[in-house]
Amino acid sequence: MRSIAAHRLHLGLVASLLLTNAHASDVPSPFSLSGFGTVGAVRTDKDNRMFRSSTEQVSGAGTDFDSSVDSVLGVQASLILSNALDLTVQSVVRKGVADSYSPQLTWGFLRFQAMPEIVVRAGRMRTPFFMYSDSLNLNYATPWVRPPVEVYSLNPFADLNGVDALYRAPIGATDLELHVYGGQSSLDIRNGGGKLQAVRGVKAALSISSLTLQAGYARSNLSIHWGDPMFTSLNNHLIASGNDAIARDLSGDDSKGTFLSAGFQYDSDRLLMIGEYARRTVDRYTVSAAGWYFTAGYRFNSLTPYMTVARQTQTAPVTTKQSGIAPIDSLLSLFNAMRNKSQDSMAIGARWDVTRNVAIKTQLERIHPGPGGLGIFVNDNFRDVVDPGGPVHVFSISADFVF
Amino acid sequence: MRPLRVLLLLVALLASSPIRAEILIVTSSRSGPIELTRDQAEKLYLGRSSTFSDGTPASLVDLPNGQVRDEFYLKLTGKNPAQIQAYWSRLVFTGRALPPKEARSLAEARQWLTDTPNLIGYLDRNEPTTGMRILLRLP
Repeated sequence: MRSIAAHRLHLGLVASLLLTNAHASDVPSPFSLSGFGTVGAVRTDKDNRMFRSSTEQVSGAGTDFDSSVDSVLGVQASLILSNALDLTVQSVVRKGVADSYSPQLTWGFLRFQAMPEIVVRAGRMRTPFFMYSDSLNLNYATPWVRPPVEVYSLNPFADLNGVDALYRAPIGATDLELHVYGGQSSLDIRNGGGKLQAVRGVKAALSISSLTLQAGYARSNLSIHWGDPMFTSLNNHLIASGNDAIARDLSGDDSKGTFLSAGFQYDSDRLLMIGEYARRTVDRYTVSAAGWYFTAGYRFNSLTPYMTVARQTQTAPVTTKQSGIAPIDSLLSLFNAMRNKSQDSMAIGARWDVTRNVAIKTQLERIHPGPGGLGIFVNDNFRDVVDPGGPVHVFSISADFVF
Repeated sequence: MRPLRVLLLLVALLASSPIRAEILIVTSSRSGPIELTRDQAEKLYLGRSSTFSDGTPASLVDLPNGQVRDEFYLKLTGKNPAQIQAYWSRLVFTGRALPPKEARSLAEARQWLTDTPNLIGYLDRNEPTTGMRILLRLP
């Protein structure tokens, strides 16, 4: 008797589920699934200058076409829980830290519409330090093959675990967005790790018809523990020779970092201009640097040719201290140079909107690494960092899509 | 006879061409007392606002990809299909806004717009609007 009742209950549940499902086509589903991606290939004209799209990648493209540098796939699911509450999860696969392809949780947050103008989110988000920081994998949304590395390599910490609030208000014909956020971010590096703690930042964007102006500022505590053999050897030598004060500049848990950015986008029917200046300042453990880029493009129907100039300049090395012991100081200058990503570049390219969901892009860059480092490039012979040499030409072709 | 038939065909083509047709922004007649200005409609369909002027949460419908949809966005926001796709993908994939619900067919969109309160969508002027209320006309 009992089992029959249970059986009936079960049937009833299935039936009601089926009915709910059948009814679902009459109203929009609360669930949505979407995605984006890039299939790209890059080559350079020098095998001893391997081009990377981020400093986390360990290997890059040489004189053979390489598809690992820019290719990316992202999938996002959203579920509306109520009028004021929804859940979003996004996962991305691309070559990242230490050339690993393991899927990353790039977004995973609950979004609460606290008031008509205020949205509060909590969970995994992206560090929004610079203008395009929260959409670095989404190449479809920009004219470039990839966001300029001169600015975007200034922050390798991509994830933000915390809370943020977005306030959106029209002021006459302008649209203001204020974004405040706080949290923590971790980064794996080979045999070591980095951490941003007590991140707190603010970002403001003003849109006036085709023009958007944006500025942001963030502070945080910074820890970095390097783990590569070169660091370990240097650190051992410093401590053995009584230079603990220098060792404390290279690695530890006691630095502050600030991230500052100011930029604009002008996007009319035809003319497209984007510019940004960004700066990272730290007390120790890595270099302080500033970067900027300027892009101008023109739309001829579905074809948008563009040009970009960009530069990153080091403003302070990891440490300026010296031990007075020649072999140690030589290692120290090498350690500084390996973290110096200074470079300048000029690029021409074009975006072709093939259909409404697909854009094909091509870009040719002339990059001058240095002074004082290899820029975004890597080379097996790491002593090359003190002798970056002449320009490297980088040719890229990619297809971006959204679905 | 032949020139007349060609002329009639041309007239028929022009008349049925959605390029020139007015577009209507509609909601279910079951919706509350919603009012919508052109400016508010633009803000909603650009993800810059998610509520009606009285604070009621708004849900949006998109037609399947096609001429009426392209014409609607061009008229309301001045953005072409590639621009609007890039614009919305940035909003969606940075978690700023949920995109309008895309109907699989015009029939599905009509069904949603008839049945679901506080949902807004757009239709070609020549579509019947039984069970719906016209909020705005985009000439």
